[in-house]
Amino acid sequence: MSAVARLTVRLVVVALAVSFASFSLLSAAPGDPAAAKAGFSATPERVAEIRSELGLDDPFLVRYGDWLAGVVQGNFGTSVLNQQPASKLIGDAMPHTVELMILAQIIALGVAIPAGVYSAQRPNGWFDRLAGAVSFGMLATPPFVLGIYLAFVFAVRLDWLPAVATDLPGLLEDPVENLRQMILPALTLASGMVAIYVRLLRTDLIETLQQDFVLMAQSRGYSRRRVLWRHAFRPSAFSLLTATGLTTAGLLGGALIAETLFAVPGVGRLAVTAIFTEDYDVVMGVVLLLSVAFVVTNFVVDALYTVLDPRVRHGSR
Amino acid sequence: MAGTGHAHLRLDDPDILLRVRDLVVEFPARKGQVVHAVSGVSIDLARGETLGVVGESGCGKTTLGRAVMRLEDAQSGTIEFREHDLFGLGGSELAVKRRDMQMIFQDPVSSLNPRRRVRDLVREGLEIWGNESGPFSDARVEAILAAVGLAGESVGERRPHEFSGGQCQRICIARALVMDPEVLILDEPVSALDVSVQAQILNLLEDLKVEFGLTMVFVSHDLAVVRNVSDRVMVMYLGKVCEVANTERLFDAPAHPYSRALLASIPGHELNLPDASTLISGELPSPIEPPSGCRFRTRCPMATEECAEREPELREVAVGQFVACHHA
Amino acid sequence: MAVVDAPTSRTGDRAPGFGRPSMGFIFWLSVTWILLVVLAAALADVVPLRDPDALGVRTGEIERFETPGKNAWFGGDGQGRDLFAQVIHGARPAMVLSAAVTSIGGSLGVLVGVVAGYFRGRTDSVIMGVAEIMFAFPAIILLFAVSAIWGMTMAILIPAMAILAVPGYARIVRGVTIALAERDFVDAARAMGASRSRVVIKELLPLVALPAIAFGFLGFGLVIATEGALAFLGLGLEQRTWGSLIAGGQGLIREAPHLALIPATAMFLTIMAFNYVGDGIRELIDPRPIVVGRKRKADGHDPAISAASEALLSIRNLTTSFPTAGGTVTAVDGVSLDVRTGRSVGIVGESGSGKTMLLRSITGAFPVLGVQRTGRVVVDGTDLLTASPAQRSTMLGTEIGIVSQNPLTALNPVRTVGSQLIEVMRVHREISKAAARARAIESLAQVGIPQPDQRVDMYPHQLSGGMRQRVTIALALANEPRLLLADEPTTALDVTIQDQILRLLSALCEQRDMALVLVTHDLQVVRGWTDDVAVMYGGQIVEAGPTAAVFDDPQHQYTQALLASTPRLDLRPHSRLASIEGQPPSLVAPPPGCRFAARCTIADDRCRAEDPMPVQIRDREFRCWYPGTGKAT
Repeated sequence: MSAVARLTVRLVVVALAVSFASFSLLSAAPGDPAAAKAGFSATPERVAEIRSELGLDDPFLVRYGDWLAGVVQGNFGTSVLNQQPASKLIGDAMPHTVELMILAQIIALGVAIPAGVYSAQRPNGWFDRLAGAVSFGMLATPPFVLGIYLAFVFAVRLDWLPAVATDLPGLLEDPVENLRQMILPALTLASGMVAIYVRLLRTDLIETLQQDFVLMAQSRGYSRRRVLWRHAFRPSAFSLLTATGLTTAGLLGGALIAETLFAVPGVGRLAVTAIFTEDYDVVMGVVLLLSVAFVVTNFVVDALYTVLDPRVRHGSR
Repeated sequence: MAGTGHAHLRLDDPDILLRVRDLVVEFPARKGQVVHAVSGVSIDLARGETLGVVGESGCGKTTLGRAVMRLEDAQSGTIEFREHDLFGLGGSELAVKRRDMQMIFQDPVSSLNPRRRVRDLVREGLEIWGNESGPFSDARVEAILAAVGLAGESVGERRPHEFSGGQCQRICIARALVMDPEVLILDEPVSALDVSVQAQILNLLEDLKVEFGLTMVFVSHDLAVVRNVSDRVMVMYLGKVCEVANTERLFDAPAHPYSRALLASIPGHELNLPDASTLISGELPSPIEPPSGCRFRTRCPMATEECAEREPELREVAVGQFVACHHA
Repeated sequence: MAVVDAPTSRTGDRAPGFGRPSMGFIFWLSVTWILLVVLAAALADVVPLRDPDALGVRTGEIERFETPGKNAWFGGDGQGRDLFAQVIHGARPAMVLSAAVTSIGGSLGVLVGVVAGYFRGRTDSVIMGVAEIMFAFPAIILLFAVSAIWGMTMAILIPAMAILAVPGYARIVRGVTIALAERDFVDAARAMGASRSRVVIKELLPLVALPAIAFGFLGFGLVIATEGALAFLGLGLEQRTWGSLIAGGQGLIREAPHLALIPATAMFLTIMAFNYVGDGIRELIDPRPIVVGRKRKADGHDPAISAASEALLSIRNLTTSFPTAGGTVTAVDGVSLDVRTGRSVGIVGESGSGKTMLLRSITGAFPVLGVQRTGRVVVDGTDLLTASPAQRSTMLGTEIGIVSQNPLTALNPVRTVGSQLIEVMRVHREISKAAARARAIESLAQVGIPQPDQRVDMYPHQLSGGMRQRVTIALALANEPRLLLADEPTTALDVTIQDQILRLLSALCEQRDMALVLVTHDLQVVRGWTDDVAVMYGGQIVEAGPTAAVFDDPQHQYTQALLASTPRLDLRPHSRLASIEGQPPSLVAPPPGCRFAARCTIADDRCRAEDPMPVQIRDREFRCWYPGTGKAT
């Protein structure tokens, strides 16, 4: 089976499993969407009418089937809150989350690569110990705690940056304002990742630097810089690639917190609101989207590996 | 697939403990291909004998040893050990019938569970087979450890990482001996050891062979070591048998072109052989697509068309010497 | 990263001595903190604290938003509740939740992981497939939904989080199991007749337990943080947890920062303590034996460069040492050696003799830091130990070539053969890319690689071991050096290929009039292929001279013993080999006298007390009080 075919199968299986489980979960929820929709003062007959309209009396599998059929056609249902199609809401929110994630990764890698490389060059030196301690501290700090702290320092005390995003413009519309509002949430997200990347890169590089081919390169009179960047870094970069892929795929938990804390109108915040308001169509849509994104991201990482690492490409690993 | 023949099997000898016939072991590779690790190999082992199995990487000697022990599954063939065919058996039935055959592995350190004490490691066999702990087994363990040169009260209490490579190999040997085996299969048992330690282990094996009445299959790539320990030697190449002969005969007058090349390649040898470069050329073919007919023909100076068309079978060229070659 | 087919490194007869990593001060500090938290969780009701629910504003005990001080150690909230009491009480739900989730999720995960890792095949695929689906669930949204729908009690949260934790543990344990299952001791157990379940229970689970526990500690922190996140989002446990305190305090961050920051600190410290302990346990299992000393500049060598001697390579009194956990190792101790142009010298010894370090001391490339070299290493008039980095770089690039042991690891696995060849040329010479490529193809042909124009664009793993070694030789010879250093160049190769490679090396050295230093443990290689030999033991050269002479008439007792313990083709089968009892000397604290005395059959008190000086007789050299047949000199 070709890679694309395998990906499709995985996607379909995961999507079905996740959506089925979520649908079951949400169906088992107490509360009556029909009553919510009908309003406070509705008569029982009116509620019953709405219930049959929404198809809530149908057996579970039929409802699930209807939902699936809708999804396949691109119809994710309607938001209970404002009657807008769920797909539109999700579509509007997605770019913000993606931007947040990309910003966070850029920051994280931008800090982690130099720090990791420098630490690996002088293990147990003062920089290494400092970087290690800081990374350790960052790993121990839950993202929401860090976010609160960042907001406290930069927004409350220093007043450099806004504490919450208000009327967030698109990146292309107004880059400066957009970045001003996104910086703090991106930093919050990035912090956990920086720690992981630095530790990973440091360990990997130290091990690579002891490998035979690095010693050989040194014995050929190459400069330290050349040995480091043109020989040692590349193999170590592969672990970093895997880690980046994993964090991107799994980032959604952290994004949710950062988005809520800083009021970024992304997919995570949308999901939180939707759960609170029992807006289950939106919740299903978000869950489905995130699980698909997870599978696709992993696939892309694997594909990148195949392209970049010649050992994988020729199947010797 | 034609095996390389049975000419070298001693079918009438009543003292044969182990007889393997036409063993085929294949491993799956990418894209539905197959690695032909062992392709129709037969061996037999008489009581008290040491059979050396020698060859370079990819020849299948390690796989052969493991397949005979049933640690790998063979595709076809028979493995007769004391009247029972081990091929196709599994689970407890296999365990029972194979009990008197034990194996020593190449890396002594990796062969021992680092979490467990030496005493428990050596006693493992007894525990599995029901002679639980108690003074009987304790005494036996100590006696065996002493027999391999690790006497002392504290030895049993310690863990493998406190011992050197040579000592770990002794522990592995002790573990095998505790089961009172008849046949011992040794897979490169001294390859990972320094020369001086290697000598100790080889001497030890000779002593134990006499003391415990062992019959051994000794797999190794080191020809000098094989010469030192074996009564008979089998030379393998790419899953096939090239030559089987008594040790001295093989080294005095190797008949198969590959055997000759192998011996001629030993640095500093003083055998009566021409330069190795005239006896062998090129590189090892892939075991996924081995050459047709005689597998050695792509590197053999004497290869002809016949070698590509017909696979040679083992035949006797001198007393006790069997060669699979059209031109030997 | 891992080397796929490295030869097993040879072990001498000494136990490896990595000191146990000392569990440092911070480790025990973390343990203490954890114990405190656990105590707080257990004894919160018993210890004399203020009632955390008591409204201090009403009772007059605590003021509204009282700042931390003597009255209320952590201050008070909007209703005057004692923050200290609240934080102490908050420890219990944190611990209970973490402990429950970690133990339930962890044990299930371990079991699943071991089964998947050991049995592989379809079981593994199914398990990993399910795990992937579970990973794909956006966990926090799910927890959030569960909480919103059914309310947040321990009874609901614990199973939910435990289930979500299982795939994480399973994946880690599966990885560990797969690595373990490849080790021989598993095969050994099966070979003795152990059933598969016995193997899993008795062999694998104990080894898997420790990494799982280490991961479990990290998991504790994760659970606490997750509950905190849920509380922050508005749906934490009903009990008062640190997360809920932080969430509550967040809105008042301007007026009363202590309300959020103090519980946040408590949470932070607790997570950190658990992480640290988990890390510490992991270090215990998997100690990284890299030797890291502090880097110091080389010092103390004789600046006078000797007048040009005939020798191309002249080593005088070279001592190489480096710090380790067990003390300073002196790998090379006062070695002197001359190598003339056009001659080949074999350096032979067992593991721990210092032969590889000797070679490394010439190039200065070590896998550890903090290596000190004293003495002189003069190549063609330049002392490499005192030369400037630029001089050294030029010497290494153009005068000296090095071939190392394992052809797979000696080449950069992610770069083509050609790019590595071109690099070595362009770094040290003025040459265009096109010209360099042409020369690269040429050099591949010279080392006997067929179809060099195709192979030049291949990656190392696409070539066989023999081919790779030829490439390494081509790399070493690319800039036409006059000295070739070969470190066990054929150890990892089959004997027929070994013959080809040695033949090639010999021919090339002759053609180009190069000197060759060949380090090996294989006496036969030395016998067949070198002009001179130096035997090393315990960091010293114990005997040196022309190969034929040394092998025919060895003077040093170790040389004699070594030759006698090597199985040779001219011995009869089943000959008893002389063996050398005992173990090599410690390189950290070598004995005062002759290094070999403890294992020598004829050593006496003089040998044990006085280290023999090197004695030179014509072209032979040795360090022994009783050389040859052992009569006193």
